[in-house]
Amino acid sequence: MAAGSLASEGLRFFAWGANSHGQLGQGHRQDRVEPGQVEEGDPAGRALRRLAGGGGHSVLLTGAGQLLVCGQNHRGQLGLGHTREVTTFHLCPGPGGQAVEQVACGWDFTLLLTDRGTLYSCGSNAFGQLGVGRPLADSAEPLQIQSLSERVVGLAAGLRHALAVTGSGHVFQWGTGLAAQAKRALCPNPVPAHLNAWEPCLVPGLDHVAPRGVAAGAYHCVCLTAGGDVFLWGSNKHKQLCVSLPFLPLPRCVDRALLGGGPATAVWSGWTHLVARTDSGRVFSWGRADYGQLGRPGDPSETGRSQPAGVPAEVDGLAGATEIACGSEHNLAIVGGRLLSWGWNEHGMCGNGTEVNVSQPQPIPALRGAGPLLIGCGAGHSMALCERRGAPAGRP
Amino acid sequence: MSVFHDEVEIEDFEYDEETETYYFPCPCGDRFAITKEDLENGEEVATCPSCSLIVRVIYDKEEFMSGEIVEAP
Repeated sequence: MAAGSLASEGLRFFAWGANSHGQLGQGHRQDRVEPGQVEEGDPAGRALRRLAGGGGHSVLLTGAGQLLVCGQNHRGQLGLGHTREVTTFHLCPGPGGQAVEQVACGWDFTLLLTDRGTLYSCGSNAFGQLGVGRPLADSAEPLQIQSLSERVVGLAAGLRHALAVTGSGHVFQWGTGLAAQAKRALCPNPVPAHLNAWEPCLVPGLDHVAPRGVAAGAYHCVCLTAGGDVFLWGSNKHKQLCVSLPFLPLPRCVDRALLGGGPATAVWSGWTHLVARTDSGRVFSWGRADYGQLGRPGDPSETGRSQPAGVPAEVDGLAGATEIACGSEHNLAIVGGRLLSWGWNEHGMCGNGTEVNVSQPQPIPALRGAGPLLIGCGAGHSMALCERRGAPAGRP
Repeated sequence: MSVFHDEVEIEDFEYDEETETYYFPCPCGDRFAITKEDLENGEEVATCPSCSLIVRVIYDKEEFMSGEIVEAP
């Protein structure tokens, strides 16, 4: 039905990979090993500006601040007021009809930031990840996180924890997802409050810097500062924090020398691996490597300069990447107008038509010449908004 | 080297009383699952219904096999 208008705009939305809960929005639950389009009501017609994915759900943010949602909904993570799974994109009314400015998806919950800087959450609260400070199992309606009175400018969601950075440069954390690991690692010392909070709790140790953005792994946290420093804390099970300790309760700065000496301009996180871009456009990766997550083949005999997984190293072929998105164990990147993928591929999340892991960034064959504008990942699925090359319309 | 995707403490699983099953997120978006009965039988492998990944469950077998109730996390 919307096909005519889409063709004229030249925009197309694609999704592929794991689809156990209908998170691809294509009306079925079969995995797709190649990019597929939504047959009816293509979301591309709505001037999308962000594609976000959780464990089994997808949330697309439109230019008008509306939300299109689909996939797993057993805890109300779609914010639709019910807990029925939907396999096609549905319009979510959003918090009180307010325009949404940013969105982040955790494993089974969703964070929404309105254009007034107010934060809402929906989905599971089993670990306090809704941040509402109440003994509530879950909520299918977005709830305002009232205790966070500062204007929020950035947010991130992990498996069972969440982060927000405010305009005044404070970083808040809530959700108790890291608490059990912290307790085991820090025993007999107590678990710091920010790792065990049911409401936003100020993260200590960042007073001397100007936090600008946050990202979240499965059990770790990331803060990027205005000065280009990367601070990491939480689980270090896969050497993703660039230290040797098993757990870091407080933020610690990554030695800039490990990132080629330059300030970082962006950082992204998978469940257990990280990717950072520096001001010179170079891209570095580190952390868990066993499914090709780092995009740098590990056999020293082949490359002659392989670094251990826990030490950041530059990824060939990603220099100048304009966008990167990390799933749990796979990644997407836009480099020079091409859409690349690498990492775990058991469900076809790399989109190359196979289920074989991809050890270094490769163009997605079916999207060659597709003109990628936006990318996004859920745990095991991938999404992209593309413009038809040669189409007169650019990004709306 | 083990074939396990991860080793996970039982206290990190979410327990569903209705199905008497412990769940933990799988990177594919589905969940690793192991039932209370499996644990009581000394089983230690949680599987994902949607993929090949498996995790090893770290727990006190004695405690489960003697039928003691372990509090859900």
